[in-house]
Amino acid sequence: MKIELKNLSHTYDVEVLHQLELVLENYKSVALIGVSGSGKSTLIRIMSGLEQPTEGEVFINDMSVKDKEYRDHVGFVFQSHNLFPHLTLKRNITLVLEKTRGIEKKEAERIAEERLTQLHLEDQMDKLPKNVSGGQAQRASLARALSVNPDIIFLDEPTSSLDPILTHEVLTAVEELKQLGKKFVFVTHVMSFVHDFADYVIYMDDGKIVEQGPPSMLDKPKTKEFQAFMNKVR
Amino acid sequence: MKSKTKIHFEKNAGTYIAYVLAFLTIAAFVAFVVLAQTEEFRIVGYEAYSSLILEGIGNTIYVSIIALLGSLVLGFLLYLMSISKIKYFKALDDVFTEIIYGTPLLVLIIITTFLISPAFVDQINRTWTGIIALVVYMGPYMKNVYKSAFSSISEEQYMAMDLFGFTPYQRYRYIIIPQVIRILMPPMMNNFSLIIKGSALLNVLSYNELYYTVVVAQSKTFAFIEGYVLMWVLYLIITIPLSQLTKYIERKWSL
Repeated sequence: MKIELKNLSHTYDVEVLHQLELVLENYKSVALIGVSGSGKSTLIRIMSGLEQPTEGEVFINDMSVKDKEYRDHVGFVFQSHNLFPHLTLKRNITLVLEKTRGIEKKEAERIAEERLTQLHLEDQMDKLPKNVSGGQAQRASLARALSVNPDIIFLDEPTSSLDPILTHEVLTAVEELKQLGKKFVFVTHVMSFVHDFADYVIYMDDGKIVEQGPPSMLDKPKTKEFQAFMNKVR
Repeated sequence: MKSKTKIHFEKNAGTYIAYVLAFLTIAAFVAFVVLAQTEEFRIVGYEAYSSLILEGIGNTIYVSIIALLGSLVLGFLLYLMSISKIKYFKALDDVFTEIIYGTPLLVLIIITTFLISPAFVDQINRTWTGIIALVVYMGPYMKNVYKSAFSSISEEQYMAMDLFGFTPYQRYRYIIIPQVIRILMPPMMNNFSLIIKGSALLNVLSYNELYYTVVVAQSKTFAFIEGYVLMWVLYLIITIPLSQLTKYIERKWSL
């Protein structure tokens, strides 16, 4: 995938992203790391098209995130699963496919079953989100994001509301998807996952990109800020 | 599996015993009160008025249902006003709600019938002025029901709807309304109980509802206390199944 940030700034009440410039090409899974409030969540939301930047441009695979069709090309998984609570896991997927992609019922069901099985949820398909574990719900959320066949999947701390075992369960599922050629941009606090899974890492602090490079950069931080961060998360 | 069933059974048995004890406590209280009476208890005299009282029950249910429907509509309008971007609507809702919160229902029924309605129409129909008063009184409470129901749909769900590109119609039809109805049901049913009990006050307009019909019967039987006991039991017969139904729906539909 190709990611381009051009003079990207974003302001809520205060500035959270400051004049970011970046060009990345041919990476399959990019990790955004940094302390809370560093701007990484805002950046991933802007890159996914969920929020419009107040200044600058973002191009993903040569497509501006401001384009209306851009959203059809991406998937997003949130910190906590955002499945619709009144629908079964399967219906959560078929509703999206039938109503927003115009796929007919039978085909939508086939896709939903395939995706849920891919994420090892074949026995949970007909349950409501409240009746499955947090890890299962998060995987179903991932299955739903996958079902529309996105070019890139954005994961915003997908495991932050899960315990270590469920975290492992979700991250294993993500790794399996990467084997299948899916592309990811993700925010996480699980450094071992960044190590094993990412092929490019961006460290952010105070709305700026402070360090970037291959995952091996985690072992030899150059800046004081990154050094301090790594000491805390290790 | 076996131990799970056993725990389940023990928990159920515990609840069951607790309820039996609670009923016995109330029964003992009733028995004590009954035995302490020196006067004769003459409920038999009311038999002759059973068809009148049945009609009263029917009317109570009838006005309550209309008032429920009316207050659902008014409540929704107030809800829309309360979330409106136009400040005037917000303020109007706020002022109206404050006034209603501070007003006794009985006062509202009388003012609506004898002061407000005559200002608008020549020939007032007391059944309808009574119902209107009930609707106006319940409006702000119903507004709150809508408020809590709509606010329970998380920000993240709206983001998901955005992300997948659901149209506004699809959002309401498939995602928002099905959830809102489930959340709305229990508090709405509680308000329905309030309406049923509140409708007793329509007796001041000589409207033939349950309370009024029993009062009419009382004036013939002269068994006043017995009449109130009868009334009490009849209201409980209407409201308790309703609240049981509410609890059932709450369990069955919870998300």
